[in-house]
Amino acid sequence: MKMKKLALIGLLLVPALLLAGCATGLTASSWPAMTVDAKNVYLAGGPYVYAVSLETGAQVWRFPDKPSAANPFYATPVLTPDGGQLIVGGFDKKLYSLDPQTGKTIWTYTQARDRWIGGVVATDKMIYAPNADYKLYALSLQGSLQWSFEADQAIWGTPVTDGTNVYFGTLGRKVYAVNAQTGQQVWMQTLDGAVLGAVMLGPGNMLYAGTYSGTIYGLNTTDGQNVWSKQATSWIWSGPLLDGTNLYVGDANGKLFAFPVSGTGQPWTKDLSGAIVGSPVVSGKNLVVGTEAGSVYFVDLDGKNARPIAISGKIYATPVVAGPLTLVAPTDGSATLVALDETGALKWSFIPPK
Amino acid sequence: MWEQIIVNPFTNVLLVIYKLIGGDFGVAIILFTILIRLITHPLMVSQIKGSTKMQELQGSKEWQDIQKKYKGNKEQLAQEQMKYYKQIGYNPLSSCLPTIIQIPLIFGLYQSIMRALAASPLQLLTLTRTVYPFFHIGNLVPLNSKFLWMNLAQPEKIYAFGLAIPLLAIIVAITTYVQSKVTMPASTTPGDQGAMMGKMMALYMPLLLGYFALTFASGLSIYFITSNLIGIAQYALLGKVNWRALIPGQKPVQTTALSARKK
Repeated sequence: MKMKKLALIGLLLVPALLLAGCATGLTASSWPAMTVDAKNVYLAGGPYVYAVSLETGAQVWRFPDKPSAANPFYATPVLTPDGGQLIVGGFDKKLYSLDPQTGKTIWTYTQARDRWIGGVVATDKMIYAPNADYKLYALSLQGSLQWSFEADQAIWGTPVTDGTNVYFGTLGRKVYAVNAQTGQQVWMQTLDGAVLGAVMLGPGNMLYAGTYSGTIYGLNTTDGQNVWSKQATSWIWSGPLLDGTNLYVGDANGKLFAFPVSGTGQPWTKDLSGAIVGSPVVSGKNLVVGTEAGSVYFVDLDGKNARPIAISGKIYATPVVAGPLTLVAPTDGSATLVALDETGALKWSFIPPK
Repeated sequence: MWEQIIVNPFTNVLLVIYKLIGGDFGVAIILFTILIRLITHPLMVSQIKGSTKMQELQGSKEWQDIQKKYKGNKEQLAQEQMKYYKQIGYNPLSSCLPTIIQIPLIFGLYQSIMRALAASPLQLLTLTRTVYPFFHIGNLVPLNSKFLWMNLAQPEKIYAFGLAIPLLAIIVAITTYVQSKVTMPASTTPGDQGAMMGKMMALYMPLLLGYFALTFASGLSIYFITSNLIGIAQYALLGKVNWRALIPGQKPVQTTALSARKK
């Protein structure tokens, strides 16, 4: 009878483990994100936040000591303007302030009810933190809640502030402007699709946002009126990049677009291989773009030439430029982080120690 | 293969239902669960018939004689049992095979619910690749994951008197227990191992599914509860529900065999 009991327990455990396995399909729920200071790159990816030396590619520290595979980190880590805190949220619904030198916790904010997917925006007085529980939280630099604003849907993208208002998009196809001091809504504009990525401020009181329906909108920051729009060929995930002349954005069909936003800009489109999920970044005279097909492209700013560098894995994360280095964090690749020099040659790669 | 045959079609059917009813994901899960239970109903009937027949033959004199005669020789006992099955034209797999066939459908249903909820970036990216071209993903997102007081993409708790109460997990555990008890075939054979295993299942399954409901997205709990209630209703329609089993101390009543009822 004992054997029968064991067999039955085994019979129950198999589906349990299978279901749990299906659920931990949630473990790899997103892709890594990173930020840099003069010495280190800070990478949130999987169960850890890493500090990695820009010079050597060696791990400086990692957080937490006891990781949880069920509660990974994917929100972009953000340094406060004084460089004294690294703010990063996890899927455990906690927002952490870490010491960038040591990785030790300075404070933890625990009142959010859902995952932290978007990165925060930090000023010299406040931290504006978007959560998937539909709320934007305004915290002091000591981690105490100043106000919160409830939007219509989850906020996955990093907000932006001009000092007066905080602007952000939601999965509910809305863009909001909220007073940075009081948390009162200033305006709200409905777009044609979910805003998954960051919004971007531009000159002339403009705010740019890309949607999952493939439209780029230019809204007036004063009243939220839609004054400019362009169409991509498929969904747009991450926020656009503005270099003062052009607005650059990639779509799911692998098309990289340059839309002029000033009199001197020239429009162009470049076909790349694989969906573009992350935002483009500028590195010297190039735009750097990662694609799902596993290539990093160095594209001339006029869009004429694109030089692909093959990387192991899919590139969903926005690359980060640190001086002469371009940092790329692939998903499902052989390395967690790779550093390329200006020629695209591999400088170092980071594989977390076990 | 699994994705193409099970998960992707399930996800798209779930999304079609979601769109047809005007964007309520909770109701879509309930309707989809009912649909799957209706499709697998013939399998369930076959399973009930199989287990009823098994019970009948275990109560027969020939079976009892075989048990007594080969009590000390397990190998010989198994051979004689198989001979007896053949003799009366009974397939011992007929009671468990339908259950085995249903398991992949249940996993597919679970995975499709989790996929359609798309509660994280990678899940949304996967959903984007799963939906058939007639859906315009830009129009589909965001899916309304709010149902009653719940966010279907998150484990559920209600807050009362300063406590976080996992109401759905409790309902899942209770309905699973009720379903196991009232649909468990009454055993007339002393020391019936099948019945003992059934009793153990009735104890462990509510705990197991309750734990899942506590841990995983509440959309899964909606599926568990609907599935349990529909399961009880299906048994009731077939006249196989034994409500007395819920009363402590009551002796089980042998329900009418399906085969007998149909004659």
